[in-house]
Amino acid sequence: MSPGWVVVAPAAGAVFALAMGARPSTGWVGAGFGLLTWLLGLLVAVPALGDAAGTRTVLTSFPTGAAPIEVAFVVDSLAALMVLLATTVALLVLLYSVGYLAGERRRASYTALVLVFTSAMSLVVLADDFFVLLVGWEVMGACSYFLIGHYWERFEARAGAVKAFLLTRLGDIGLLFGIFVLASATGSFSISAAGEAAASGTMSTSQATAAMLLVLCGVVGKSAQFPLHTWLPDAMPGPTPISALIHAATMVAAGVYLVARLDDVMAAAPVARSVLAVIAAVTMLLAALFAVAQDDLKRVLAWSTVSQLAYMFAALSVGAYAAGVFHLVSHGAFKALLFLGAGAVVHAVGGTSMEVMGGLRRRLPLTFVTTTIGFAALAGLVPAAGFFSKDAVLGGLLDAALHEGSWQGWLLLVSGLLTVVVTAAYSMRAWLLVFFGRPHGADVLHEAPWMMHAPLIVLAACSLAGGALVLAPDVLDPLGRGPADLVHPVLAIATTAAVLLTALVTYAEWWRVDGIDPVARFGPVRRGLFAELGVGRAYQAAVVRPTWALARLVVATDRDVVEPYVRGAGVTAGGLGTALRWLQRGNAQVYVAAVVVGALAIGLTAGWLGA
Amino acid sequence: MSWLLPLLVALPATGALALAVWPRSSADRLGAMVGVAVAAATFAVSLLVAVLTWGRDGMRLESEAAWIPALDVWWRAGVDGISLPLVLLTTLLSLLCMVALLWERPERVRALVLSLLLLETGVLGTFVVLDLVLFFVFFEVVLIPMWFVIADWGDRHDPAGRRRAATVFLLLTVAGSAVMLVGFLVVHAHTGTFDMVELAERGGLGMSTQVQVLAAAAIGLGLAVKAPMWPLHIWLPDAHGKAPTVGSVLLAGVLLKMGTYGFVRIWVPAVPEGAQALAPYLACLAAVGIVYGSFACLAQSDLKRLVAYSSVGHMGFVLLGIATLTPVGLNGALVANIAHGLITGLLFFLAGALKDRHGSAELTAIGRGLYARSPRLAAVLAVTAMASLGLPGLAGFWGEMLTLLGAFDPAEALPRATFLACMVAGGVGAVLTAAYFLHVVRRLCQGEPETAPAEASTRELATWSPLLVLTVVLGLAPGLLLTITDPAVRLLLGGDG
Repeated sequence: MSPGWVVVAPAAGAVFALAMGARPSTGWVGAGFGLLTWLLGLLVAVPALGDAAGTRTVLTSFPTGAAPIEVAFVVDSLAALMVLLATTVALLVLLYSVGYLAGERRRASYTALVLVFTSAMSLVVLADDFFVLLVGWEVMGACSYFLIGHYWERFEARAGAVKAFLLTRLGDIGLLFGIFVLASATGSFSISAAGEAAASGTMSTSQATAAMLLVLCGVVGKSAQFPLHTWLPDAMPGPTPISALIHAATMVAAGVYLVARLDDVMAAAPVARSVLAVIAAVTMLLAALFAVAQDDLKRVLAWSTVSQLAYMFAALSVGAYAAGVFHLVSHGAFKALLFLGAGAVVHAVGGTSMEVMGGLRRRLPLTFVTTTIGFAALAGLVPAAGFFSKDAVLGGLLDAALHEGSWQGWLLLVSGLLTVVVTAAYSMRAWLLVFFGRPHGADVLHEAPWMMHAPLIVLAACSLAGGALVLAPDVLDPLGRGPADLVHPVLAIATTAAVLLTALVTYAEWWRVDGIDPVARFGPVRRGLFAELGVGRAYQAAVVRPTWALARLVVATDRDVVEPYVRGAGVTAGGLGTALRWLQRGNAQVYVAAVVVGALAIGLTAGWLGA
Repeated sequence: MSWLLPLLVALPATGALALAVWPRSSADRLGAMVGVAVAAATFAVSLLVAVLTWGRDGMRLESEAAWIPALDVWWRAGVDGISLPLVLLTTLLSLLCMVALLWERPERVRALVLSLLLLETGVLGTFVVLDLVLFFVFFEVVLIPMWFVIADWGDRHDPAGRRRAATVFLLLTVAGSAVMLVGFLVVHAHTGTFDMVELAERGGLGMSTQVQVLAAAAIGLGLAVKAPMWPLHIWLPDAHGKAPTVGSVLLAGVLLKMGTYGFVRIWVPAVPEGAQALAPYLACLAAVGIVYGSFACLAQSDLKRLVAYSSVGHMGFVLLGIATLTPVGLNGALVANIAHGLITGLLFFLAGALKDRHGSAELTAIGRGLYARSPRLAAVLAVTAMASLGLPGLAGFWGEMLTLLGAFDPAEALPRATFLACMVAGGVGAVLTAAYFLHVVRRLCQGEPETAPAEASTRELATWSPLLVLTVVLGLAPGLLLTITDPAVRLLLGGDG
């Protein structure tokens, strides 16, 4: 069967959902197409699990004047794993949404966007042509934009949507240029050709380095890594099931997928790997610290996603391919669980701030149990999937540090171990603040309907059993890229002890101050972390405001100077006199003209120097 | 000898003539219907042209006849992969404009339809003729009806402003065309022919580099005014701001393309050494236009002016693609041309609909919350904005991506570093384009509804839907266009370019 069906089926479902409009049954139609997509995904993916090379199918191709663009698919083990993850989470989210959006009117656009999103994610992971991948990649970005802005009456939703789209798009321009470099090195837009050229050495180190540094721009944007990390937490005003799908299990994971897919090219570009290592080391710890200080449950989870993605990049940047892919899959399961659990909590209490939660353990028993499993997996406790995958990642880092003695390995290992502790602290804190202590807010709470419970149970089961993937290294890594061992008993015991100790300290602190937020006593440090060190505000001041100022200047110039200049004297005589008078006026518009002429001059000089 | 292309050009002209001589009383009522009938017939002929030439390389359906032998002026016409998409775009947009007039019922509709049909004749003539003098004639024919359309049917609230805008448009373009004609005469003086096909085959033979540079500068200037290239774009925002909806749609959708088409058809092949010498300058000005246009859009408060400035940016991509002098750059330019025609045509339809409802195209006058007030119109606007900002999977992406790819690897004789700088500027422009379109969606579609509901009627949606459908289709299958432009472009550049 053509893998294209996994892309086409949800897209068709989207058209169907739009045609249905705001009827209550639209949600069920969405879930139906989700089921269809999942079944198709099984048919396409399961036979390919463990398949190293995969089969390539070309639907059509067309000329560009340079290399042709081919609508080509490859289903290998990595693609198969990603298809399974994406279609499973999408199905569960669609089912969950039937209950979550029961009282809402904007069902049609919501369902359609989730389905288009699923289609786009499948396209990304199945594509074997960079431009086909880019279509899926950016369509996901657009769906994400619309879904974050789902509650468009709210200011934060509007602002968060724009921010998410622009920051990821900024990175995507880098990705586009990276594709140009890869294509010029291989003479084709095929993704697998790029990997082969790098592995066989026909691609030079400088080409691979330039290409991967540019590709990393797109990856860093999509996966919300430092320094483009600010959009993901601001994307949380969207509906919570969306956060599970887009901002945990799939779209942000696409960045990790792309780096894993281009592992051969990364291996040929040590500089790019080092850059990625530094980014991962900074991001994982910083994001975890931010997560400790937040009041908003979804914001905690968002920062934890950023931090966990950095673990995957850490593994990939030291060549621990299997560990990175393992953590990608296990994180997909337990983070979807956590977001959907958070959705059930939000559904019950009517807000995302942890100040209105507390004591929910008895009122929402099923949510409590499943979410607890999610938190355990996040913190890395035995026997949850997160324990095994994080152990594999840390083991890979340890190998790099001890056996290869690389500074990247040491940097990542230190950052990774510190992050383990911080992760345990914020998981414990969030767990306590939501489910324990004194209840706040409304007295009458009810558990969510079964459509919302079923996905929680399924995901909890996956989060518990997912560690079994450790027994199938062929599925994670059919080519044997490394690391050789996914299990590291000594390291596992040490980190488990650290996690338990941290959890205990957090609990003691919480218990000592009688159920009050345990980080409250950190004062200014907490305030700084709560404000996320002012990075967002700094970008605002350094980029956004100057851009607007320049835009206003351009508009003023075009109205006041250039028009009369052309309309009146400018066309014929007096050009020189006008220019002289103009220069003497010394006002802002001249500067704009100077900037423009300067830009022109720089471009031409660059050409002259390059020639 | 094929009569199809002369027929294609003559049909709208005949319709215009018929309307002119028709008794006044009944013609005014029937004006729009006659317009629709003639435009539909023209569209049908263009489809026939497409069917007959699709997938066949080289110049097709050629016709030739001496017209003014004393001046060496011939009727020569033909169609290939470069002109065919533009012909189809022209006939489609003209038809949709006529249909829009059918519902809109403006004053003195007969005269308006007459003007639009003349306009269509001029544009179609420009795209199919293969003689420099005829090209010039048709290029000029377009101006007069456009002047009337803007000056007489433009912004109802600002009669002085619309007249001024129309006059600036006319004067600038005429000045540019005059220079262009000088360039044509220089070419003729050295080669003894106005035949565009022959000139392309000669590839500048008979002209020294100096002469070619001079000719390329003159021809390029005239075309650049029309395109419009920064800083010759001054006429555009005003003309669009004041033009009626149909005027804006045709102005953005097809008139601008006459400039870029001329670059591809004449400038690149006929004076290749001149083009090569001037290409870096063209690329830099195009890149400045991309960034400048985006900045101008960001702080723009009038929706129609904003879409006009966005055209400056988008046409900057087209010019950049042409300046690379590579097959991929030219393909990108041609695809971006068509995509811009569809998407910006649709944007002007939408902006016009909003202006009609609120009496002004100011963002503050239109107000927030269109998602609630007019969900269907708002959804079309949001999708069109996504298309215009170049979302992969919609039509706007492919052309601009290919022009940037061309700039990444320009023709060998060109300075690569200049083009890399231009490519980066284009990338910055793409991000800024996303910024201003999201700003528009945020200001208009989202937020608490401010003014009365104003949902799009089924008729309006029907008028817009062909453009929307084509935007999606060409976004998913850009190969439809590229398979016909690519052979033509390679032929034009000679060998494998």
